[in-house]
Amino acid sequence: MSNNENNGKQPKNDEPILRIMNLRKTYMQGKIPVRALDGVSFDVKKGEFLSIVGPSGSGKSTLLSMIGLLDKPTEGSVFIDGVEISRAKESEAPKVRREKIGFVFQHFNLLSTLSAMENVDIAMRFTGVPKNKRRERAFELLTRVGLGDRVNHKPSELSGGQQQRVSIARALANNPAIILADEPTGAVDTKTREVIVELLRGLSERGQTIIVVTHDMDVAQRTDRIITMRDGMIASDISSGEKK
Amino acid sequence: MFDLIIRSLTQRKMRTGLTIFGIALGIFAVVVMGGMSEHSNLTFDRSMKLTAEMIRVMPDTSLGGSLDDSKVKEVRRVPGVSDAYGLLMMPLDQENLAMGFGGDMVVGIAPEKQRVALKDTKLTDGRLLVEGDGNRAVIGSSIAREFKLKVGDELEVKSKRLQRATSITHVRNFTVVGILEYTGSFYDSMVTIPLDTAQKFYEQEKKVSVVLAYAEQDADPEDLSKRIELSVDNVKTISPGELRKQVEGQLVIFSLITVSAAVLAALIGGLSVMNTMLMSVSERTKEFGILKALGAERKDILFMTMGEAALMGIIGGIFGIAIGGTLVYYLNDILASKGTALFDITPRLVVVALLFATILGMVCGTYPAYRATRMSPMEALRYE
Ligand SMILES: Nc1ncnc2c1ncn2[C@@H]1O[C@H](COP(=O)(O)OP(=O)(O)OP(=O)(O)O)[C@@H](O)[C@H]1O
Ligand SMILES: [Mg+2]
Repeated sequence: MSNNENNGKQPKNDEPILRIMNLRKTYMQGKIPVRALDGVSFDVKKGEFLSIVGPSGSGKSTLLSMIGLLDKPTEGSVFIDGVEISRAKESEAPKVRREKIGFVFQHFNLLSTLSAMENVDIAMRFTGVPKNKRRERAFELLTRVGLGDRVNHKPSELSGGQQQRVSIARALANNPAIILADEPTGAVDTKTREVIVELLRGLSERGQTIIVVTHDMDVAQRTDRIITMRDGMIASDISSGEKK
Repeated sequence: MFDLIIRSLTQRKMRTGLTIFGIALGIFAVVVMGGMSEHSNLTFDRSMKLTAEMIRVMPDTSLGGSLDDSKVKEVRRVPGVSDAYGLLMMPLDQENLAMGFGGDMVVGIAPEKQRVALKDTKLTDGRLLVEGDGNRAVIGSSIAREFKLKVGDELEVKSKRLQRATSITHVRNFTVVGILEYTGSFYDSMVTIPLDTAQKFYEQEKKVSVVLAYAEQDADPEDLSKRIELSVDNVKTISPGELRKQVEGQLVIFSLITVSAAVLAALIGGLSVMNTMLMSVSERTKEFGILKALGAERKDILFMTMGEAALMGIIGGIFGIAIGGTLVYYLNDILASKGTALFDITPRLVVVALLFATILGMVCGTYPAYRATRMSPMEALRYE
């Protein structure tokens, strides 16, 4: 990312880990343009535990996929650690995805043919971590999410909550700057939801930046900050400090 | 990444198996057809090596026929000819007149010329013909196998002669006195008997089918060949160079036919890889989306899909070569008892077949692989 104004400048401590500026995304549904994001701007500090809520179709998933470089914005910028990733070339995108971002999906998106261990391991392959290091780290992460005794189970042999914990371990594998979770509790029961939220909470307390999209206000209430979206725009942005 | 490739292939056993079967079938065709072509090439090469410096002098008629014995002397008198001798050649099986390539032949030759004619071909048993041998024969290795003959055994030879409307068949037993080593040339299917015996037996007194002439050390066989044709009446000659050209031309056509049939078969195998990979890729669109979200590069996805295709090609190739090799082995065995072989699986054929299978797999995996990398991760993840 050569022609970047922040090039060479070290991110200062108070500089946000994520900065979103005037982000727009317009999808074409046939000939009708759909403004999924319509000028979204906000900053996220390192270690923040943020939730994004809002009605269906308000642009939450679209926002996450712009941050995670799964898709390109129509307009606006996304900075991670002061680097404008939204300008990354197609060839640079994979590196950003594996180094800066960890994804957690609603439907887990584990590879069904691989064991829990291998599902975590595979995230590190593309980074070129040697095999024994990968195994070690995968085991350590699975233990941390409480699955140390399930490492050789296939996704089909695990409960929904366990699968989601595997996918959280996978998201952590490359020490990403930000974890993006799109409805991580959307497909699990309330008891499992508690386990997942506690897990994310714990990670955030250790300094991990986490953005969670959720429909569940109980989940949102337990994050540091709630952004509410409506029609592709931010309707409210409330930090828990302000609530209290 | 290799373990992922294996994983993906073993996950869909039936489909992978069928695809490999398709490739194997194609490569099987390549091996069998190629083996045939290789065999004729090798036989030709070995035969050429054994007869490299001979000039063939034959009657100048399109009907074949024979030459008078006296022509031998005439040829020998042409300046530049170091030696010349006549051969009387007859098909061994008078019912089945397939002389030349593959067919068994009886060759009458003056015993003292046999060593020259055979060059450095060795005997596995017995001796060569000697003066006054009469009803004795030296046989090639294929003849020995076909008729299960050992030195001392008798070989029945028939001659047939048309007399008005009927044909008279003579039968005579020849005692085997020597067996030649395997040469891979037409020598293997030859029964050599003394020329005078042959001329009497076939009632071809003072006749020979062909005169073989050798050039002196400093004479050019091509020139000499032309000179013989000019100096001796009613003959035409084939120089070593001309013979090579004639046969090579036929071999090229033969090779082209066999190889293109084989390649066609293999391409059909290739299409089955393409089909499998396309199905597999579209089925795994979401999987590739996940891998991309995890930071997989285009080349990682390409490597995986191309690797799968190549691996199916290699395995199919190995099976095809193994099955083809086995079939050819047994076919050759059966054919050997009839005196001929048809196939040669040469190392270069094996290498070519395997390379072909691998490249075929990869080429046919290219388009599906390209499709797999093209989709944006977002689209791929939404795909159900
Ligand atoms: N690939 C696409 N092509 C066309 N339109 C799209 C595409 N992705 C999203 N949209 C549209 O963009 C808008 C925002 O979608 P998005 O998935 O971001 O909503 P969301 O807030 O995540 O909703 P939900 O809570 O139901 O997941 C919707 O109107 C949707 O139809
Ligand atoms: Mg959504």
